[in-house]
Order: sequence, then structure tokens, then C-alpha cells
Amino acid sequence: MEESPLHPFELHNYVPISLGGLDISINKAVIMMWVVVGLISVLMVMAGSARRLVPGKLQSLAEMMVDFIRGIILDTMGKDGMRFFPLIATLFLFILFCNLIGLIPGSYTVTSQIVVTAVFACVVYGLSLVMGFLLHGAKFLGILVPPGTPGWLLPLMVPIELISQLARPISLAVRLFANMTAGHVILGVLFGLAISGGVLIGWLPFAFTIAMNGLEVGIAFIQAYIFTVLTCVYLGDAFHLHGHDDHAH
Amino acid sequence: MPPTQDPFYAGLGQAVRIGTELLAALIVGGGLGWVTDTYLLGTGPWGMVVGLILGAAAGVRNAYRMAQRWPQR
Repeated sequence: MEESPLHPFELHNYVPISLGGLDISINKAVIMMWVVVGLISVLMVMAGSARRLVPGKLQSLAEMMVDFIRGIILDTMGKDGMRFFPLIATLFLFILFCNLIGLIPGSYTVTSQIVVTAVFACVVYGLSLVMGFLLHGAKFLGILVPPGTPGWLLPLMVPIELISQLARPISLAVRLFANMTAGHVILGVLFGLAISGGVLIGWLPFAFTIAMNGLEVGIAFIQAYIFTVLTCVYLGDAFHLHGHDDHAH
Repeated sequence: MPPTQDPFYAGLGQAVRIGTELLAALIVGGGLGWVTDTYLLGTGPWGMVVGLILGAAAGVRNAYRMAQRWPQR
């Protein structure tokens, strides 16, 4: 099998559409996003339709998820953060389902495209900037000066803080993209070894493939969780402006 | 959500988070320095040198801040 392990990430247009020079063709990633959105909607509507006092299986799963996301928000942002619940829950569920569905052989991991993760990261970071300037005005620039910095250190600390601020959306985007891509490349390489190894030795990489798939399920959860937590942390920073560091630990 | 409660996965998540934090700050610092060098000032290699150093400092600072924030279990 002479196939590049990066081959599964290539996208081919099924329905080429061009709108005023803009390429909005429909490809596998777009279809997978529709599938994910549809699946989440159907699951959540079904789970919410019964509204029993003693919840069934689906309802308790949905309640667990909502409670989990609520816990993250309350831990990182406090009560003010609950107004972002719809955004954060949507992000978490979308990323989680993209990651998990991508692990089904033959499907596609949307989050392994850096375009997708970068758009998420930019939206989150942009929102935190807009919120910060709306709430604090020009005082929000004080986020570049850590509390308790002596004056003579300012020319050094402000550039460092500026870079560390600018690194936030990049680390957010790269982390999710790199973890998903790397995981799938490893799975692809191991499975390629299993096929080219034959029965005699091929069972070894095949066993590793299965083990890695199990680990990848964990990674799928963790990455969705980390993305959500960091979203909350960044939005919370815009709210509290240094005030948060005191009771964080 | 059982996997994120598991200490093994929680530790893995923390490690992965801090690693990317270091990398991202370096990319931004070096990138800003490179842009200053090539497009804005033309100051030889020095913009990128300073940018990389500042980026490394920012990365360490980010990682430190992140480790401080991690909930203790």
C-alpha cells in the first residue's frame, strides 16, 4: 500500500459551487459538519422532549452534559459567565461530536482542518476582546500590565504580555488541529503497517491501532474539554481584568 | 464525562496544553520579529532575534500562568 498517511485529510469537491469568485463547494468536511449539527440537534431535541422528573437514559445524558458545561463555566468565570452558556455549550458539543465521529473509520474529522479550528479560536478571542473593551473601555489595555509590575520593567513586560496575548488564539487553534491530525496520522501509519505486515507480524501493529483508537477517544474528550475551558478562561479574563487571579488557586 | 475526571487523562491534557502554549508564543514572537525585519524596518536579523527571545519569555509566562490556574485535585 503506497499511500501517504496525510492522504485522508485531502478534500475533494463533490459539488463545486463558486459564488462571486468565492469557493463554497460542498466537500466531505462540509457534509460531516452537517451530519454533526444534525446529530446534535436531533439528540438534544429528543432528550428534551420528554421532560420527565425521573429522566430516561437520553435525558440524563443530556442533563449530565449540560451540568458538566455549567460546572466549567461556574469554575472559570463565575455567575457572570452563564450568559455565554449557549455559545460555550455549542462549541463544546460541536467539537466533541466532530472529534468522536471522526474516529469512526471512513468518516472525516472536521477538526483536523486548521481552517475550522482557527475560525473557532478567532471568534472566541475576538469576542473576548470586544467584551473587554465594551466593559472596561480603554482600561482594558491594562491587561498588558501584570499587577505589581515595577515601572522600570514596563518596557520589557508590555511586549511580553502583548505576545502572550496574541499567542492565545494561535495556541487554541493549533492545539486542537495538531492533536486531531497527529492522532489520525498515527492511526493511519499503524494500520498501514498492519496491512503490509501480513498475518505473521501484522497483528502487532493492528493491536496497537486498536489501543491507539481507545486513547484517541480519550483525546477527543480532552481536546473538546480544553477548548471549552480555555474559551471560558479567556472570556473570564475580559470580565474580571486581573481580579480573577486572586481566587483561582 | 468520565475521561476528563480520570487523573491520567487530566495530566495528559495539562501536558499537551502547556506544550502548545510554549510553541504558540514562540511562533508569534518570531513572526512579529520577522515581519518587522522584512517589511517594516529592515533591521537585519535583530528584530527576529529579539522577537524570539520575547516569544520564549511570553511562552514560559503563559505556561506558568496556566499551571497556576490548573485546579488542584
